[in-house]
Amino acid sequence: MRDLDASLARMRDAWMAGQSARAHCPEAWRDLADSEATLAALAGVANEVLYRSAPAKPLEPRPLLPALAAPTLPHTARARFRRILGAQKSGASVEQELINLIAARGFSVHPADWMPGPRDDWAPDLYSPWLDWVRAEASSAPIEEELTADTYEHWPWGERRLALARMRERDPSAALAIIQAKAASEPAERRLRLVEILEQRLSGADADFLETLHKDRSDRVAALARAYLARLGKGDDDDALETELAEMAELARTGLINRRTQISFTPLKTGPQIARRQELLNLVSLAGIARALKASEAQLVEAPPTGDSAAVQAFMRQVAQSGSDEAVRILAAHAVADPGLLRHAPPLAARLGIGERRALLDKIVSHDTSELPVTLAFMGRDLGVLSLEALRVSPAYAHLNTCLDTTLGNADNTQPAHANAILATHLLRLGLVLDAQGARDLIGKLTERGLSPADPRLDLLHLNAALTLETQP
Amino acid sequence: MGLTRGVIEAMAPDQSALKAASTLLKPAKWPLRAHAGNLIWGECQGSGANPYRVAADTDDHGSKCTCPSRKFPCKHALALMWMHVDDAAAFQAGTVPDWVNEWMGRRRKGAAPAPAGSDAKSLDAAAAEVEPKPLDPQAEARRKAAAERRAHDTRRSVRGATEDLDHWIEDQFRTGLAGFLGELSERCRRIAARLVDAKAGALASRVDEMPSHLLTLPSDERIDAAIRELGKLTLLARAWRAEPDDPELRREVIASETREDVLNDSSAPRVGSTWEVLGEQITTRRDGLVSQSTWLLNVNGGPQRFALLLDFFPASAGRRSGAFVAGERFDAEIAFYPARAPLRAIIASRQDSIPGEGAWPEAGEDPLAEHAARIETSPWLAETPVLLPTGRLVADGKLHWWRSEAGLCAPLNGNAPALGLGAALENAFGLWDGARLSLVAARTNWGRLDFDA
Repeated sequence: MRDLDASLARMRDAWMAGQSARAHCPEAWRDLADSEATLAALAGVANEVLYRSAPAKPLEPRPLLPALAAPTLPHTARARFRRILGAQKSGASVEQELINLIAARGFSVHPADWMPGPRDDWAPDLYSPWLDWVRAEASSAPIEEELTADTYEHWPWGERRLALARMRERDPSAALAIIQAKAASEPAERRLRLVEILEQRLSGADADFLETLHKDRSDRVAALARAYLARLGKGDDDDALETELAEMAELARTGLINRRTQISFTPLKTGPQIARRQELLNLVSLAGIARALKASEAQLVEAPPTGDSAAVQAFMRQVAQSGSDEAVRILAAHAVADPGLLRHAPPLAARLGIGERRALLDKIVSHDTSELPVTLAFMGRDLGVLSLEALRVSPAYAHLNTCLDTTLGNADNTQPAHANAILATHLLRLGLVLDAQGARDLIGKLTERGLSPADPRLDLLHLNAALTLETQP
Repeated sequence: MGLTRGVIEAMAPDQSALKAASTLLKPAKWPLRAHAGNLIWGECQGSGANPYRVAADTDDHGSKCTCPSRKFPCKHALALMWMHVDDAAAFQAGTVPDWVNEWMGRRRKGAAPAPAGSDAKSLDAAAAEVEPKPLDPQAEARRKAAAERRAHDTRRSVRGATEDLDHWIEDQFRTGLAGFLGELSERCRRIAARLVDAKAGALASRVDEMPSHLLTLPSDERIDAAIRELGKLTLLARAWRAEPDDPELRREVIASETREDVLNDSSAPRVGSTWEVLGEQITTRRDGLVSQSTWLLNVNGGPQRFALLLDFFPASAGRRSGAFVAGERFDAEIAFYPARAPLRAIIASRQDSIPGEGAWPEAGEDPLAEHAARIETSPWLAETPVLLPTGRLVADGKLHWWRSEAGLCAPLNGNAPALGLGAALENAFGLWDGARLSLVAARTNWGRLDFDA
């Protein structure tokens, strides 16, 4: 065999160089072969039959992809999921919302249809085992020990972060102790994720550790720590900046009977002035501007902010970033009652708990003139919970009727492709916000209006309607 | 507006399309006819190996068919609509299948054809029986003589072309394979054109496809693959010259028989069994044709384990959806093209799909060895379908491998999808060419996994 191997190698070299391989072929072939081509036929068959490629070193398979806690989508829903995902265009994709909706209903996606990429940290917690697997950090055996500072390294990153987040809900000081002990050893991106866990049940007990992060190597980590400290009333704003910002805002009393303090941002004359105010709203904490205006945080949000729209938007971001929980709640309550303010409210959504957001949902959708993005922002990961009744009295429902009139020929339509695209986008969003019963009922209404039940624009509504676990109503 | 006979007459591109549609009105030609709302769809057994899938919207009269016809609507769509107008009850109520949904997603509403032409077109006239012309014995004799003359000319021309191919192969060795690999496309294109001119169409396609096959391999493997393929071409050309009337060799060198030829050939083996659709490979060839290979597995076991349904259509006909869903099972009688190791086939008759999934037959201990047995009788064959036993896919640097529990290894052609590396493979199906394994489908702990082969 070794001789044949050597012969074949020499024949190959000869043919590469344009020389006859006859001198190099095995003795027995010389009588059989009348040409180089027949020698090639013999050599080819010998290679095909006698040799098999072998790996240079023993093959080590990866651990099996772990099963997730939630069941995978049913077969029919899988086909629809693939179709919806395949139709998404980068830039306007609802991939994340779709994955969140499925997770919110207690299902997971089949890994043949979708798997998170190594950087998809946005994926619902459910997918942490897959994220670890994709990053080649999964352990080959299930982890049975408790997460402590000592066992920290035994846990793959995704599982570790999830366990810490759960621990934080249950026992904030235990989670803080582990994060405090281990954050410095993690790279910046993961250090940021660890500090983010502290947002849950943030309290004065976290202040000392957050102070130590003031000069973190990562600007993002340091900024996050400063924002959390500001929420705790321990901001370290520059007095000069606070005063400069306060000079660009006014506090006044408003209301005839119920007198309240109201912050207003008067229009400024020049572009640089406007830009500077925006910059200061980003740099100074809510507590800082309150100090400069000689008011409390709660007084600043007693009434809805008014004035220049961009400044109001930046102020709401400022409250979301550095305001106390109470200030956020008060401002969110103002926002859901005022369509103009609601447009700027999405940053506040992340500061509210699921229960608080759900309680506000009907009001939000009834005032959401953005054609649903604001509602979606407030829903966050908690998608697919809106009733059709709540939708019916909303601007989004009126928009749906207008789209249907335009596309189904009941109104002047000079740009049918554009109208179809608008309807398709709106139906996608409706498929994300409605509850399963609402999705079913809406499909019925849409087909009564003339849309085909097989219209692919109804795919997400169909998928939504099918996403019910047997235990769910 | 609803669908009526008048509407069908108006939208037909010409009377001959209606005439052709009338020949498809027999229910036996349609294993499937169904409807949901305003959508109707069906499968029609045409001249290809795969059935055509046809769908139509009875409201706006849009239609889609997977056949390569340039007429729109084609005879299959016209026939489907015609049958629906005549007897809607014959269409069973069903759930809109994926392929119809996909069509709905891609189509532009209102894309139904405008009434075509002003010539009078009539369904009644199309359906009328035409009296067959009486046979003229002299004309028939002249036709036969002409056919024999053409066959003789073709044989002589192909013989010359295969001799040219021999010389060309010798030239590649004489001038060095390093140069050959450097100018692969140009050199292959030139000899392929000569083979086409000489009516050796099948051989020409094989030569023409050689560059795209070799260039997918890592550069250090191309030389061995080139030697192997040039050797196989040599053997094929010589075998055909020795037995030009051999049906398998004729198919490999000149052209395939028609569907009717195979169905009427008493020597063509037939196997009635339950078949599972393993998967589909669609490749666009350099000659502008798209080849569609559908692999079937005989799940009842038996010596004839696999069948390959092979169709070609012009790439200009656009994207074509698959004829079957991977994993679908049905009872069918399959007629095989006569060959030393029959594989290519057509469906002679088929029953409705069987719901549910089932296990695959047991794989042999060393399925890769089946390739050696197969090329012993037909050394020109490029690859062998193999059913692989329990194993895993493993990444080793840039190269991915299939590895059985017993330690049998085969390098993959291309990379496995992420899930493939994390799944336990109960069975797998692929094509083994002696050097690389192209996976098509696998049964895994995550269910069926299809590979983009």
